[in-house]
Amino acid sequence: MSLPLSYHLRCLFVRKTSTILTILVVAAVVAVLAWMTAFAQAVKSSLAVAGDERKIIVLRQGATAESNSVIPVDEFNKLRQLTHLATDASTGEALLSPELMVQVALPRLRDAGRTTANVAVRGVTEKAFQVHPKIKLLGSSFSKGQPEVIAGLAAAKQFAGLNVGDTLHMGYGGDRGYRVAGHFSAQGGPMESEIWAYLPSLMSSYARTMYSSAYLRLREGGDAAATIEQIRGPAIQLSAATEAQYWKEQSGTFQLYLLLAYIFLAAMCVAAIFAIANTMFSFVAGRTREIAMLRTIGFGRGKILAGFMTESVLLSLMGGVIGSGLCAAWLALVGNKKDMFGANTFTTLAFEIKLNPLIIIQSLLAVTLVGVVGALWPATRAARLQVVSALREP
Amino acid sequence: MTLTYVLMQNLKRNPLRTALTAIAFAFPMAVFVAAIAFVVAMVRLSQANAQELRLVVRHKATLTNYLPEGNRRKIEALDPDRTRLKAICGMRWFGGRVPDSKIALTNLAVDPDTFPIVYSDLAMTEDETALWHRERRAAVIGSLPASAYGWKVGDRVTLNSTVPPYLSLEFQIVCISPNPVRANFFFFRRDYLDESLVQINAPSGRVNTFWIKCTSVEAIRSLQQQIDAMFANSPDETKSEDENAFVAGFIQATGDIPALMQAMAIVVVFIVALIAGNAMMMSFRERVRELAVFKAIGFPSLRVFFIVITESLMLALFGAMLGVVPASVLLLIFPGQELAKLFGVPIINQLRLSWPAVVGALAIAAFVGLVAGFWPAWQALRLKTVDAIRHVA
Repeated sequence: MSLPLSYHLRCLFVRKTSTILTILVVAAVVAVLAWMTAFAQAVKSSLAVAGDERKIIVLRQGATAESNSVIPVDEFNKLRQLTHLATDASTGEALLSPELMVQVALPRLRDAGRTTANVAVRGVTEKAFQVHPKIKLLGSSFSKGQPEVIAGLAAAKQFAGLNVGDTLHMGYGGDRGYRVAGHFSAQGGPMESEIWAYLPSLMSSYARTMYSSAYLRLREGGDAAATIEQIRGPAIQLSAATEAQYWKEQSGTFQLYLLLAYIFLAAMCVAAIFAIANTMFSFVAGRTREIAMLRTIGFGRGKILAGFMTESVLLSLMGGVIGSGLCAAWLALVGNKKDMFGANTFTTLAFEIKLNPLIIIQSLLAVTLVGVVGALWPATRAARLQVVSALREP
Repeated sequence: MTLTYVLMQNLKRNPLRTALTAIAFAFPMAVFVAAIAFVVAMVRLSQANAQELRLVVRHKATLTNYLPEGNRRKIEALDPDRTRLKAICGMRWFGGRVPDSKIALTNLAVDPDTFPIVYSDLAMTEDETALWHRERRAAVIGSLPASAYGWKVGDRVTLNSTVPPYLSLEFQIVCISPNPVRANFFFFRRDYLDESLVQINAPSGRVNTFWIKCTSVEAIRSLQQQIDAMFANSPDETKSEDENAFVAGFIQATGDIPALMQAMAIVVVFIVALIAGNAMMMSFRERVRELAVFKAIGFPSLRVFFIVITESLMLALFGAMLGVVPASVLLLIFPGQELAKLFGVPIINQLRLSWPAVVGALAIAAFVGLVAGFWPAWQALRLKTVDAIRHVA
């Protein structure tokens, strides 16, 4: 029979101040850990949506991103000779989408418009909706006659002026008014942070005669590597990558941010481990006679060890629950929207940080580990107590 | 028996607890000193910008839209006596990169005549300025590309532009600016760029921004309004902002690393205060009887208060030194410059050791030690000697 849980709980709250202070330390560490995990999750899942293995992005040779790539129309037409290109079942046309990338500066909603972000605007044709199957219209699409755009849901939530009916000022002189006709969703992928317009209209507004990039879909069983080689080859001479590869290369700033955050988190975890060890040592020291008495009445060393580990885990879990609550409250009050700049693309990727049960469970597990490691030494000392001399201690 | 003796004895009484508390203190303080160093550097950067009194004019729709270079004359005409506007310099983004390199340079083509005046904080000497005016391919760079690529004054370097029409131009370095705040820059002459553009029949005579050196803060405000009003409802509608507002937009976009650092610093102070408070409470609880004995043999209450609070202060400072010293040494050996080169994100090169940050970190540690020790010390002050002597820990 092992020591009852209620015993441990009551022991913890005999020393209220120490317990509460240690719980708060653990809570702070868990709050930060949960936030970081949710943030990393949000960006990773956004980039994972863009990981379609059958979609190839074509850029000019040497271009680092769509925003600084240029593809003349006749070079684009050469892409039709690709052998693994998918075709539309009903019309027989190749699933090949020419696209133009421009940008527009919009105020961020989360700091009440104090800073502006460069939002990507993509000029597309109807083919784009077939080449990018994850794009779902939520409402009407842009008209081909009138100057209209559709805004991605993530962009509409984070930047000002993208509600249905608003007018965006775009164009070479900034004087062409484009009406926002509707929104679209892209399963949280990077394209949801963009604004889409009709390609010919955009080309005339910006006085461009060339496309920026092209996307194509491979047919069933099509070989991505072979197609990329063919595109790089002497017949076409453009550069290509699968969509997944392209977006992975754009995440440089994000990697740096995560690295800094993880260094910080590691330091905090070490501090929490030592704080828990400190508290547990003082608990053990204060209860030597009690431990000796428990040993006398028959509880073995192992049970004493397990008992102190349990107390530490209880401490950590309580801190963990409070910390998760703090993190959720922070996200709800301060806002869970962030956007990050691609140094190459010069446009922002907007995403929402959401706390889901899996993240909370991961954080609680991590903090339980911290509690176990922290309590190891004090619990061993408690277990190794010399019963007879401890009984005589004041 | 001196105060110091008593304090040292108290800390040595339970060496394990002292060690654990000190280490638990040290790790967050190490992070804190780095975060504070970064925040201090950002504040210095924004102060340096504010001192320069520069106004940035860009196209209202987006920074990447062009403005005609002729607008410079129109803006100059707003202030013919030069009481508010000292000089105006048009800049065009070239976005040049060294072939096969990941580092993103802030590479701009600038008007050669007014550049040394508008960017006077680059501290170009008279000879360097003369060379800039004389040499058609002159380039002025910051310390980051110079150290990353091993360039010296007089070197010929080539950059490939990452914006249309993708020129590849050769430059000659005339000056490497020592200014740490402008480390990532590469400026060259816009007339050289325009000649090269004309040769390939690409449109020339365009700029992305006008940088205006003003005479005072009021001059910035009044020029800002006048310029935006002058170009309103024209194809070249402008948005003018001072340098700090302009830079803030970029900083926010790189994941807002400064805000992350600030948040880290605050969380650290919070955690460290809790750890110190916990340790002091534990130590006090064990010594209630001993402190009562002190009072009984004649130590005044205030002196007992000082004993406890100074002990907390010493513990905090000891733990802080344990964390700050290794972190400072690490920052000295591996400054943020290296990280900037690795990730190609230039802002992180502001992460380097700064003495105000170290002093600030120690001051915060001392403050935390005082605050954490206050409650136990106060209780020691108000200890009723008679009851406390009977206390069983």
